Amino acid sequence: MCGINGIFAYHSASSAPEEAELLVTRDAMRARGPDGSGAWWSADRRCALGHRRLSIIDLSDRASQPMTSEDGRFVVVFNGEIYNYPQLRVELEVDGARFRTTSDTEALLHLYARYGAEMVHRLRGMFAFAIWDEVRRGIFLARDPYGIKPLYTANDGWTFRFASQVKALLAGGHVSRDPEPAGIVGFHLFGSVPEPFTLYRDIRALPAGHTQWIDAAGPREPKPFSNLAEILAKGAANPVPAGEISERVRAGVLDSVRAHLLADVEVGIFLSAGVDSGALLGMMRDAGQHEIRAITLTFAEFHGTSEDEAPLAERVSKQYGARHIVRSLSEQEFIRDLPTIFEAMDQPSIDGVNTWFVSKAAKEAGLKVAISGLGGDELLGGYPSFLDLPRWHRRFGGLAEIPGLGLLARMLMAAVAPSFSRTVPKALGVLEHSGSWAGTYLLRRGLFLPHELPDIMDAEIAREGLRRLKPLHRLDANLTPDPISDNARVCMLESAQYMRNQLLRDADWVGMAHSLEIRVPLVDFTLLRALAPVIPLLTSGAGKAALGKAPTVPLPREIVTRAKTGFNVPTGDWMNTATSSGSGSKVVRLESKGLISRRWSRTVLNGVAPTNQPLLHAS
Amino acid sequence: MNTSSTMFAIVTDAFGGRGGIAQYNRDFLGALVQTGAVSSITVLPRLAPDLPAPPEKIEQTSARRGRIAYSVAALRIALFRRVDVVFCGHLFMAPLARLIARLKRAKLIVQTHGVEAWPRPSRLQRAALEGADLVLCVSRHTRAAVLSWASNAPERVLVVADTVREEFTPGDGSTLRGVLALENKRVLLTVSRMDSRQRYKGQDRVIAAISYLVAEGHDVHYVVAGEGDDRARLEALALQARVSERVHFLGAPKLQSLIELYRMADLFVMPSTGEGFGIAFLEAMASGTPALGLDVGGARDALADSQLGTAVPEAELPATIARLLADPKPDSAALAAATHARFGRAMFTTGVRTALNRLTETI
Repeated sequence: MCGINGIFAYHSASSAPEEAELLVTRDAMRARGPDGSGAWWSADRRCALGHRRLSIIDLSDRASQPMTSEDGRFVVVFNGEIYNYPQLRVELEVDGARFRTTSDTEALLHLYARYGAEMVHRLRGMFAFAIWDEVRRGIFLARDPYGIKPLYTANDGWTFRFASQVKALLAGGHVSRDPEPAGIVGFHLFGSVPEPFTLYRDIRALPAGHTQWIDAAGPREPKPFSNLAEILAKGAANPVPAGEISERVRAGVLDSVRAHLLADVEVGIFLSAGVDSGALLGMMRDAGQHEIRAITLTFAEFHGTSEDEAPLAERVSKQYGARHIVRSLSEQEFIRDLPTIFEAMDQPSIDGVNTWFVSKAAKEAGLKVAISGLGGDELLGGYPSFLDLPRWHRRFGGLAEIPGLGLLARMLMAAVAPSFSRTVPKALGVLEHSGSWAGTYLLRRGLFLPHELPDIMDAEIAREGLRRLKPLHRLDANLTPDPISDNARVCMLESAQYMRNQLLRDADWVGMAHSLEIRVPLVDFTLLRALAPVIPLLTSGAGKAALGKAPTVPLPREIVTRAKTGFNVPTGDWMNTATSSGSGSKVVRLESKGLISRRWSRTVLNGVAPTNQPLLHAS
Repeated sequence: MNTSSTMFAIVTDAFGGRGGIAQYNRDFLGALVQTGAVSSITVLPRLAPDLPAPPEKIEQTSARRGRIAYSVAALRIALFRRVDVVFCGHLFMAPLARLIARLKRAKLIVQTHGVEAWPRPSRLQRAALEGADLVLCVSRHTRAAVLSWASNAPERVLVVADTVREEFTPGDGSTLRGVLALENKRVLLTVSRMDSRQRYKGQDRVIAAISYLVAEGHDVHYVVAGEGDDRARLEALALQARVSERVHFLGAPKLQSLIELYRMADLFVMPSTGEGFGIAFLEAMASGTPALGLDVGGARDALADSQLGTAVPEAELPATIARLLADPKPDSAALAAATHARFGRAMFTTGVRTALNRLTETI
């Protein structure tokens, strides 16, 4: 887990990279890698790589990066973990590879030397890396199938740059801050910026599950190497008998947890009172880890209510023999930390604060690695969207296909019931969007709907942003090939949009701001393959029930039947305080969560994006 | 590209044409046949005021100035000839090029230069450009401008910078100084059109700086080479500023005279705000004369981010001219070599071939 960056002056007319830019970009990611740093230059100084290190596997200096292959041909900078590294090492050594370290980084060099771009199919883990090939004089980039680890690129036509963070690229001083309308519109639609866009036109994310090659002819279009929808479609075509669901879930999750415990430092866990983290704690025990520290957040506001996670988490912690650390969070601390949160937030997100405080607690406990239950809801149907999307699509989809009806209904509703339109604004879009799965998802998950954008931002930017983003087309592309079952379609949409662009991205920048590696065993391509035949069969609650039963000692029944809260913080009230600061009065508390999120999104955008860029901001 | 591919070039002007775009088109198309990237090229220009002399494997048909006549001629060529690649030399012609590429199921390359591509174009032009397989830009600035209004994959929008011909080399400029009676003077030079519709070239900014330079102790003279209907305005400006005896308008020079002009000058200065690239900067530096421009648009590329020449904000122009005149003239041979190393014909030819390869390659 680290920060990586590089500069490649690929065009014959371009100037060689400046050392100052390389180092400033690299050191803008100091929190990602406080344990060390390194830089490498090609002999002709046309390519430079930088690295900041958070030591997790092979803590010695031998494993420092950038790491060069023994013959000097390949140089790698790597952010992430390769969980099947031990198996890969055995295979590579049988094939004649000689390892100089015990780090997974070195395995990447050997794999690339043998298999070239095809190497990515052998990797299990979270990764974003760059390999310089001295012979072909180019850079190979790759990012894991789910997009757990970030990788951003900037190409001005002469020089190619990459880094783990958008703000690091900007810090280098040579990348334009011109706004990207698609990124701004995407944030207003989803509450996070959908990849490959960022807030800045010249900075793009290498999409999840893609590789990219850059040489003297410039960067090529990113190439996909994995397709989650295809895995789900294959699974749906080969369903398992219903009686095998629990065993499949148990075996798949145990295998993933075991893989995710690979480390030369202690691995802790974020523990809520939910099924996902509780089951993962139980599986950590089953996988053989005995010393486990579990971190739970608690809030005075929730004390004595069903929302207080501490008592149930304590019970789970005791059941699995973990050392429980309960960290109390106050509204004052939330408000106090906000400026720091916005400074660390790489791209605006309306969700990241939750993870911030539990990561902060983990860091205070001295942990470098923590397991998170992130991904369980997407994989095992934990969100209400698994029920709502199919229902809405079936109920309104037929009407929505009548040309013009959606627009007409929206205009009528706005005219006849303006007050209703204001309090339940998304109701206006039901007949416009529920005709497709992508549209229904946008309706269910959208922060704002497309027709609302001209009212909250520059109308021209809204128009141009929608044209460039093509939100429905982009969502729909995630369903190719069709995952066949309703569950799998929602799983795919949630995984490729909300989880990828919001939850995983938040886990990265928040974890890294605290020099903490957050591992997500429920976001694992191998696990998805194992559970793809199960997902279509899951009825409401069945997935989580199976997960709750997965540890040798199952989770207490109260945990499995408890309504989902996740790592909730009393954000509703606190965000009201934050967004109304200066006005002297709290905003009415009866607002829906959706409306609070809408106001919160404006605060986030203002907090994250430079105020000297008016085009980025809502009007 | 397949070396047996045939190209149809839809251009404003190329062989027998004048100005930077015609020169770029000649360089580009010439490089294509030279490297064997395509087997033959048919060129249809709108203008060809001089005698066209295309190289082997390039056939240039008669120029068609009018839009309708041009379009009819283009469609006729497309109808009766094999076309594998359509090269569109100007954004304004992209809709026609896109239509022909679709009719012939050919690949489409759209070339963008400078100011024509900086503001958002018509929807038709944008749609045509977005349908291109490859977009070529002469500078990073033009590329950024194109990507601000077009949603092409950024990896398909490449920079192929202008090039400088081998004829531009350092040499002795004293003879021409003698002819112009500029011995022992400090000579500033601008080479550009003087077009009243394109007043961004910046001769007026240099004229405005002359009094300051004289006050700073430089016995400076300003030579303006080029033609156009804006000359009278510039002459009036010089008169108004009481520096007309120090400003010399020479008209458009032929190639050899142009080379000698560059060699003679102490500093080439073109404080333009609208350069797509600014090939004159390259010609000056290849002739061994330092070059100065504004830190605006494509000029930054020609001046190589101030690593070959100097690019400054407009407010710093007079002081920078003074500083550069005070500095000893740099090593002409080294400057010329560095210019050719970045922008010489060999680099350009490789760049063109590499760009064309992008149409068919698989990585």
